[in-house]
Amino acid sequence: MTHLSPLPLRKALAGLAIAAALIGAPAAAIADDVVDAARAGGVIGEQADGYLGVAAGQTASADLRARVDQINIRRRAAYTERAAATGVSVNEMAAAVACQLLATRVQVGERYRDEAGTWRQRTASAPVAVPSFCGQ
Amino acid sequence: MQALSRTAQARIAAAGLAAAAAAGCIPVQVQAPDKPIEINLNVNIRQEVVVRLEGAARDLLESNPDIF
Repeated sequence: MTHLSPLPLRKALAGLAIAAALIGAPAAAIADDVVDAARAGGVIGEQADGYLGVAAGQTASADLRARVDQINIRRRAAYTERAAATGVSVNEMAAAVACQLLATRVQVGERYRDEAGTWRQRTASAPVAVPSFCGQ
Repeated sequence: MQALSRTAQARIAAAGLAAAAAAGCIPVQVQAPDKPIEINLNVNIRQEVVVRLEGAARDLLESNPDIF
């Protein structure tokens, strides 16, 4: 992207991008095949802080990183809004969601980041280590 | 925040309300940041708060299937 293509081509590409965005918009994000494949493959995973991250030792393309960033930005907006409505901190709202995500969404073979910051992989014999702040 | 006296907190709150009144509305803004967010796992989380938020968290997940 360091050199620009001729203007008509750029306009056409921009038009295509807008059309793709409009068509793709309603289904969106985590029904995002790229994100889903990366999660299933253990490249990215849920973190104990309520956000998605790229697992240690894994390589993520710039495109995948951008998608993860977008999801995290939208998650933070959702946490912020709900935290304000509930009278708790954004981090606490995010942590409460992380407890749900880690307890119910991580499948065998997928990676997740525990509260100490260590990336782990769920295996058939090792259930997800849910953060201590989740209670129980 | 804890260092602020009650009066100081009240004054800040009053100033905020006054500003909101001057603007003619109570601002409720949630803006996505334009720079990458910093993920911080070293936050102090109160367990009793998290437990109390279980229902809200579940609701948030279910109502935002595009990001969870």
